[in-house]
Amino acid sequence: MSSLGLALAVIGAVSAALFAGIGSAKGVGIVGEAAAGVVSVDPSKFSKVLILQLLPGTQGLYGLLTAILLMSRIGIIGGSAVSLTASQGLMFLAACMPIAIVGLFSGISQGRAAAAGVGIVAKQPDQSGKGVIMAAMVETYAILALLISILLIYNIQL
Amino acid sequence: MSTEYASAVAAVRAMESALLSQADIERLIAAESWREAADILRSVSINPPETSGGFIAQLDDELEKTWEFISSYVPSPSELDLLLYKNDFHDLKAALKSLMSNTDPKELYLRPTLLDLDTLYLNVREKHWEMLPEHIRETAEKVYDSLAANMDGQLADMMTDRACLEKMREKAKLSGNDLLIRYAELTALFADIKTAYRLSLMNKTEAFIQTAVCGSDELDAAALARAAAGGFESLTGLLESTGFGELAELLKASPAQFEKRTDDLTAALIEDARMKSFGLDPLAAYYLAKETQIKNLRIIFVCKDCGADTAIIKERMRMLYV
Repeated sequence: MSSLGLALAVIGAVSAALFAGIGSAKGVGIVGEAAAGVVSVDPSKFSKVLILQLLPGTQGLYGLLTAILLMSRIGIIGGSAVSLTASQGLMFLAACMPIAIVGLFSGISQGRAAAAGVGIVAKQPDQSGKGVIMAAMVETYAILALLISILLIYNIQL
Repeated sequence: MSTEYASAVAAVRAMESALLSQADIERLIAAESWREAADILRSVSINPPETSGGFIAQLDDELEKTWEFISSYVPSPSELDLLLYKNDFHDLKAALKSLMSNTDPKELYLRPTLLDLDTLYLNVREKHWEMLPEHIRETAEKVYDSLAANMDGQLADMMTDRACLEKMREKAKLSGNDLLIRYAELTALFADIKTAYRLSLMNKTEAFIQTAVCGSDELDAAALARAAAGGFESLTGLLESTGFGELAELLKASPAQFEKRTDDLTAALIEDARMKSFGLDPLAAYYLAKETQIKNLRIIFVCKDCGADTAIIKERMRMLYV
């Protein structure tokens, strides 16, 4: 039973890094397309659109952080892996779901919002801060999901 | 949710910042002379020549560059091609008429166009219909036969214009894009009313008018032809009873005001595209906005060149997309 529990926990860590990473990759890609369109016309706007392109990248980092914390908690990093029951493994898997799922969808949504913000930079560069704020609002939900995932990982009894 | 054309839309947004604003247009209208208007234009984004001679050609080049810019982002052929159908069919008319009158069509061609203008005349002359793009092929052959049979230039014009509107509507419906569908429908509707108005003043028969109007979702071709054949009063009566009372009033007042209003109604269509970050709509809107800007500049500079009053210029200015 201990190997099943550990396997479930590892699936959780993989999911956090994988789905949040996919969300970020898609989001950054969408903004990158829009940013390239603006820079092709006006290269001086590169730095402003770069800020917007970076925003959807954070979900991937949150997923990575969650995976590392979990691997550390169950001893895969920095020691020998602990023995987990199936229910403990399931709990760790469930703990990873908030950042995995919210990271996936919020990354894509933030990419869309930031790409729309690129339009503001293109047309009214002096209003670009508003584009950044609107895209950053999506971040809130990724942070909330990260918080829940971390709290769960550290509060599941071993 | 599609994120299609994200790059193209962002590039278009960057280009839109160079469109003339309402304030720029007001300053141009208020200019005392052609030269002063040209100086104002130089201070914004466009660089007109020292004399009025080459300015119109420069504006044509500007529109052609806009099309090249947009088409570099969309696959070819694209749904947006229908925006050039008016020019394509005009150029076909020019080639056919030049062939019949044995003159050079080059000066008559409009750009931008989807046609290869270097070979258009040759293909029409040699009746190589299969060498022409699909959307004008059938019309070219039909109109050629009609011209060869009766040398009626007006009929040829009517047949070509109607075919153009039909092809636009067909292409728009195939695209499934709401903006393009509405654009094609409005273009057909306004063109039909204008044609019916002109023919009603010329006392043409119902059968003749029927060959000239294509019909639209909002105005049936047969009813329009019947009304126009009954005279101007009968035509305005139909327009009033079908919800186009405002257009009927404008036709009674002045055809120039009618033209301005119909252009403004078409321009109003693209308003929503300003809020979109993805898709074809902002690209179509930018091309149409540029077309409107060029139309306005043409009116202003031609009027300045001939010393027309600012009030005349103002009442002809089309609505801007900025």
